[in-house]
Amino acid sequence: MNCEESKELLVAYVEGLLEDSEQQAVEEHLKDCSACQAELQELTGLHDRLVTNGKALAQSNLEKDVMNQVIREQNVRLKVTSRATEALKIRRTIMRSPVTRIAAVAAVIIVAAIGINYIMAPSVTWAQVIEPILNARTIVFDLIIGSEDSGMVQHEIFAGSRIRRTMSNMPNMTMIIDTDNEKLLALDTEGKTATYADISGELGDRHRSFIKFVRQIITQLQEGQVKELGEKVIDGRKAIGFVGKGQNEAVTIWADPETALPIRIEAQLGQEFAFTMKNFEFDADVDESLVSMDVPDGYTLEKTNIDLGNSNEEDFIESLRIWAEIIGDGTFPEAIGTEATMKQMPLLVQKVTAMQVSEEKGTQIGMSFAKGMLFHQTLETQGQWKYTGAGVKLGDASKAIFWYQPQGSATYRVIYGDLSVKDVAPEDLPK
Amino acid sequence: MSENDKYYVERCLDGHPDDYRYLVRRYQGVLLANLAGKLGSRDRAEEAAQEALVRAYFNMGKLRKPDSFFSWLLGIADNVAKEHERKEQIQRQREIVRSFSEESSGTELSQDYALESAIAELPEAYRKVILLRYYGGHSCNQIAEQLDMPLGTVTKTLSRAYAMLRESLQQQKQAEVYEV
Repeated sequence: MNCEESKELLVAYVEGLLEDSEQQAVEEHLKDCSACQAELQELTGLHDRLVTNGKALAQSNLEKDVMNQVIREQNVRLKVTSRATEALKIRRTIMRSPVTRIAAVAAVIIVAAIGINYIMAPSVTWAQVIEPILNARTIVFDLIIGSEDSGMVQHEIFAGSRIRRTMSNMPNMTMIIDTDNEKLLALDTEGKTATYADISGELGDRHRSFIKFVRQIITQLQEGQVKELGEKVIDGRKAIGFVGKGQNEAVTIWADPETALPIRIEAQLGQEFAFTMKNFEFDADVDESLVSMDVPDGYTLEKTNIDLGNSNEEDFIESLRIWAEIIGDGTFPEAIGTEATMKQMPLLVQKVTAMQVSEEKGTQIGMSFAKGMLFHQTLETQGQWKYTGAGVKLGDASKAIFWYQPQGSATYRVIYGDLSVKDVAPEDLPK
Repeated sequence: MSENDKYYVERCLDGHPDDYRYLVRRYQGVLLANLAGKLGSRDRAEEAAQEALVRAYFNMGKLRKPDSFFSWLLGIADNVAKEHERKEQIQRQREIVRSFSEESSGTELSQDYALESAIAELPEAYRKVILLRYYGGHSCNQIAEQLDMPLGTVTKTLSRAYAMLRESLQQQKQAEVYEV
């Protein structure tokens, strides 16, 4: 071995990384070479210096300070922007698992299919302010289901029979809905996958866009049902308000007093279901590609059959079970319904991921949950139901958690904490 | 080394902030070594390391590959250091530190500032290997795994890093002589 070869191996020699034969060769060479001996001494000196310094720094203890700061800031952030954290969590979980992607698609379809089996007596058009809502070719707006601080904002681009929809708590999901052909295209913009869902059948009958829904309500309100609310500042702008009240619904429209363009629309259906629309843009240019039903370039089409049609009571009970067992750790939730479902979806996705079940099983859980909630949606706007399960333990046969009156039935169906069901006469309903 | 980085990163993202402590334990020494040379004092390095660790925690959602946590964390620490440097006119700082460091006054100053600043000047690939080996307690095999390179490459990188460190330390010495 010559000096050059030896020098190349000296660091590895100091580190004890050489094979026996190499080590021997280096040692042989060192015996007779003072230059390499000096080099070795230098290297050993530097090695020791690194080790000593490393040990000194390793004694420091940042753990307590860092953890305190993390927990403290986490708490502050949770309070201030729990939505952002939720969004972050859901994005991460969705990204990791195809199971959760499908669960998310199912959740999104729930919102897409929102209770539109809503029938009112036909009547006449009522005011100037509704003209843009009725006639705009395209409408871009934000939609909030439930109370405004629910933190979940849906952004919609409405263009005739096509809708593009995104949701703030599932930032990588985009839905494109074709209401004419009753099809839905779900895009996972992070995983670059696309899924088609068939929303025909029972779901198709109910499925229309929020805009069409509002159009339907306002065109059917009778002249005498509309009241003026006067002027008020809405979202920082002067606005004039109207409220149209039907038997079971109310639509409030706040509009710009000069242009008559709506600024904000609030709808209340039955007692339990409400939504708000705002940040309107009427007749904006909407690029056709935004609402195209084709799988975009670079996306993989997933061959999952999403069947959400014809949900029944059995599906609903299954979703209650999932809610208590998986989401609530054995306890039924504070509230059920579309708003609660959308809020809980990230948690369900997380829990299912943590259960480490097969893709098939995970998909099934997501579907079952969504399907059962679809059944509940058919009741949601009608008001002949009551949920009393908050805090009840799964398996508790002594407590009723839900009752409803099926269409045309004289008796009520009552569901108990053990998920058994009984037919009950109106006078015997649990108080 | 119990669980790998990816495991803890995912635990944190799944809502178990407490598990972040294992990553802090694993990399605090590494960060300090990386920062001490850049910032000039132990206290400053600790402050910046803490900031980097907290920042990393709250940005974990942006980490695309959980198993590259270390490289990513190091990048954050480098950014923090840059921000601190800008604030504090580091050049002047260094001179002051250098003149003090001969008295080696214990707590405030790094024990071997010359070495740390030499490390701080290493190109990233070499810096990572040195940091993990001597400040993160990794064996060369573990480094190979962590940085996803063959063991032979780790050895060569280490060897080259030694050469660069020696050169840099040599230059520092000469500069001091010249200054005096």
